[in-house]
Amino acid sequence: MSALVVFLVAFPLAVSGVLLAVTKGTLRNAIVVVACVVVAAASLVTVVAFGNGEAIFFGLPGGLTPGHAILVVEVAIAMFVVVVSLQNGRVVAPVMALAQLGIALYLDLGGHLQEPDPQRLFWFDRLTMVMVLVIGVVGPLICIHALGYMRDYQRSNPQIGGRRTSFFFLLFLFLASMFGLVVSNDLQLLLVFWEITTLCSFLLIGYTRTKETVSYAFDALNMNLLGGLGFSVAILLLAGRPDGLDLARLTAGPAAATLLPAIALLSLAGITKSAQMPFSSWLLGAMYAPSPTSALLHSSTMVKAGVFLLLRLSPAMAGSAVGTMVAFVGLLTFLFASLVAVTEQNTKKVLAYSTIGSLGLIVGCAGIGTPELVWVGVMIVIFHAVAKALLFLVVGTLENRLYTKDMENFDTLLSRMPRVSALALTGIAGMFIAPFGIVVAKWTAIRAFLEVPGFAGAAFLVIMAFGSSLTIFYWGKLLIKILSMRGIEPYERSVEDRVTRYEWFSEAALAVGVIGVAAGLGLISDHVVGPYALEAFSAAPRVFLHLDPAVVVVMLVAVLFLPALAIWTSRGSGYDLADFYTSGRTANAGHLMGAALGGTRTVTLRNYYLEGVVNGVLVFRAGTLVCGVILAATILVALAASR
Amino acid sequence: MSLFARSPWILHYDGSSCNGCDIEVLACLTPLYDVERFGVVNTGNPKHADILLVTGGVNERNVEVIATLYRQMPDPKVVVAVGACACSGGIFARAYNIAGGIDTVVPVDVYVPGCAARPESIIDGVVSGIAALEHKRRRTA
Amino acid sequence: MSPLGYGLLFVAVAPLLGGLLAGVDRIVSARMQGRVGPPLLQPFYDVGKLFEKDVRQVNPVVEPLLLGHLAFMAASGALVLGGTDLIFTAFVFALAALFLVLAAGSVNSPYSFAGAERELVVLLASEPFFILMLAAVCKVTGESTFGAVLASPVLVALQLPGVLLAFLFVATIKLRKSPFDISTSHHPHQELVNGLTSDMSGRLLGYVELAHWYESALLCAFVLLFFNWSVPLGLLAFAIAYGLEILVDNSTSRAKWQLVLRSSWAVTFLFTGGNVLALFLVGR
Repeated sequence: MSALVVFLVAFPLAVSGVLLAVTKGTLRNAIVVVACVVVAAASLVTVVAFGNGEAIFFGLPGGLTPGHAILVVEVAIAMFVVVVSLQNGRVVAPVMALAQLGIALYLDLGGHLQEPDPQRLFWFDRLTMVMVLVIGVVGPLICIHALGYMRDYQRSNPQIGGRRTSFFFLLFLFLASMFGLVVSNDLQLLLVFWEITTLCSFLLIGYTRTKETVSYAFDALNMNLLGGLGFSVAILLLAGRPDGLDLARLTAGPAAATLLPAIALLSLAGITKSAQMPFSSWLLGAMYAPSPTSALLHSSTMVKAGVFLLLRLSPAMAGSAVGTMVAFVGLLTFLFASLVAVTEQNTKKVLAYSTIGSLGLIVGCAGIGTPELVWVGVMIVIFHAVAKALLFLVVGTLENRLYTKDMENFDTLLSRMPRVSALALTGIAGMFIAPFGIVVAKWTAIRAFLEVPGFAGAAFLVIMAFGSSLTIFYWGKLLIKILSMRGIEPYERSVEDRVTRYEWFSEAALAVGVIGVAAGLGLISDHVVGPYALEAFSAAPRVFLHLDPAVVVVMLVAVLFLPALAIWTSRGSGYDLADFYTSGRTANAGHLMGAALGGTRTVTLRNYYLEGVVNGVLVFRAGTLVCGVILAATILVALAASR
Repeated sequence: MSLFARSPWILHYDGSSCNGCDIEVLACLTPLYDVERFGVVNTGNPKHADILLVTGGVNERNVEVIATLYRQMPDPKVVVAVGACACSGGIFARAYNIAGGIDTVVPVDVYVPGCAARPESIIDGVVSGIAALEHKRRRTA
Repeated sequence: MSPLGYGLLFVAVAPLLGGLLAGVDRIVSARMQGRVGPPLLQPFYDVGKLFEKDVRQVNPVVEPLLLGHLAFMAASGALVLGGTDLIFTAFVFALAALFLVLAAGSVNSPYSFAGAERELVVLLASEPFFILMLAAVCKVTGESTFGAVLASPVLVALQLPGVLLAFLFVATIKLRKSPFDISTSHHPHQELVNGLTSDMSGRLLGYVELAHWYESALLCAFVLLFFNWSVPLGLLAFAIAYGLEILVDNSTSRAKWQLVLRSSWAVTFLFTGGNVLALFLVGR
């Protein structure tokens, strides 16, 4: 088992090194494809070897300890940050990086750190299994997509030139560090992998090296380093205790009051990494990066590291004021992000806000900390990772082909690009339509909130009600645009033919995944997520809310069948796409209608963005302020409680 | 009575009418005549309508519109020309801008004369239109 | 009777009840306006005629989507009566409404599209309420299915007066009654022509009518949740509420969608949210 885990971390690392040296395109493509297959296979093998049983703990082969190796890596990271920041004239980032390094040096060289138990370096349980599958399956699919996508992206952004080697180097480095992150039990080891993902994110956001993207990259770096600093301080607080840095022991049950400040600081790290308010702006800035980055880092995987940590902390926070306040931060983020998403026209930004909102839901569930809600959280991790990755990749494909991200330009997509539309529809359905998983999760969450006592329970219910309705609104708008049709010229039909086979493969695989996890929800719940939730809280066995499988299948078939029927019949005749009612004026299928005095006018149909009712900018600022205050209060409350 | 006879939905279009006949048409909907008793609904939409009730004559501007409205009505459908102008162009028949009655554009099933046509005549015309509708439905059924 | 039996009963009987309700609606409206009005069975004649008419199909996605709308609307009611978790049915109900939005929005007509956008606003205005309402009913009775709520000794309406008041407000929106009939209405010649249904002809329009009847029946079932101790009282309450809706419909003109959204959110937040908060603070 330890060999497998080491392989999962070391292999992508090795591949990334190799890719740094390879410059020939065809050779790189081949290496990436092979490496992706190997990573996926290795993930599956690891999961099978684990066998879906009780949690296991193990160390490095041969009983090695990381010893000072961790410190060396931390020095390297800090030096890198300082150098790059000074090159760009930034000050905040190097200060934080040096502070973190300072703490690490103090602990290690000052002898305040105990030796970690060599047999408890790594922790593999069902949650790890889920994360490994998400990283190991969704990650390689995104890398394969990137092979096709980056070729076209480079054509529109020639300044990135020969830096495609570094792009794939970063993707594989990132995969390696994510694997390391989710299997680590020692907090110091976890922090190292955590910071490497921060660096990868920073470098990938700033990939095109325009002034704008560099600025956004540093925003991301600053916020994530702040979280990392919080993490370091938490380690400082925990270092003196026996088993202080053993994550499993720390979170085995409700934390003692003296540990709450550390828990609160670790939550801070999780909140910054998962772009919860007040730290959401870095994720929005990350949308200016190429789509595979958005898909991999900022929806399926890296931000999941943040909620992964919070889910781990959930048993420790449960029932405490810290937990409740963290839950408020998450759920209020969900509400505010959904409100802003309604006003957005840029599709990638809508996807970003949706991600922030979904993560907010998970954070809310983790903060409250009951088996049902942790069940909900893990379910959302699974469903969201697959569906959102698919959506980001599809939007990337659309952006490459149509040169736009504005959802107003995605109308009549069903006519122009029917196959891509089918994929987009699957992804969107997976995000909010019953019986797809996220709806089942929301339903369970609402039922679980009914049991939360007092003001918090009522508030959570109200937030869920309004938040869910808002998600229907913005996804509905996107669906309307995609489902419309008009007569198209033959040359327009050929636009879809230029989508590369890498993109088709990865998007189709993810679409199958969306449907598969929806159909298999019962199985996933009974065999993986349910047992995990019970194990984490040492709770008595119970039945988790579920639908009659017959109902699930019927609904799934209905929801999929109807659009499929629509797409299939769209090839037929007997339809007059120009025959819509325009007060008796004639229109043609290209959106021109006859107007007064013999002229023509274009029919433009624009979505509602709730101008005059919701001011997106104000709402975002309000959310940042409110959640910032609550977060600050959380840390203060934790400090007060620990006295 | 068939369902069409019980639920005739009307689309009322004003061609070049002086609005005299239109006011009489709308009077049919008022409590005095209340054609909703017969299931008549004044829809504003050709796609929902069975009977196209046209007042006024045809000119350059509305040739296309009348043709489009008629085309957008699903079968079976009838056209009722209400008022002298709709029947033949009325006193404007020889004007340079009027092409004539509605039958220059679409096939008319019922002609309701008058200037302005009385509500009773209009209702009578609609009833005849229903009979024509029935006839068409049986023929195509 | 088994849950499946109740579900099928709803699917079979609800359109009849919904159609009769629509007939009564038209007669009462006519009488309010000093007219006589159509025969009671007029809605049935209308829908029957629609199914006999040709359809002018604009695009091929409309019909499957409308079938989905009809099927899921019937399913929502069937699931409620058949004993499925009430909160889940709120999501199915939203899905049914979404299908209508997609069907109308897929047509490029300005009226149809604007109707679809406005219907999304209607969804946004009404969905938070329905989720909160069903959650509140489940919380106050401790039950989660229709039959169990009806059998519960808790008098729901007395515990949830705020929610009941908000229900009257939101029902006006869902039943497409003025002043909240922003997306479509049965009164012709509105600023959006027929809004959502502008480009639906023949049997397509028939599906929408049937779905509306199912929806009315479902709303009646929700009222029965409030008056869970006496079904006759619940039906009477629904009749009175519907009468009020007709009165409001005939006396007001259409509001702007911004007003509909703001007022509905305010009512939901204050009345329903307030009632729910009271429940949690006093509560069980």
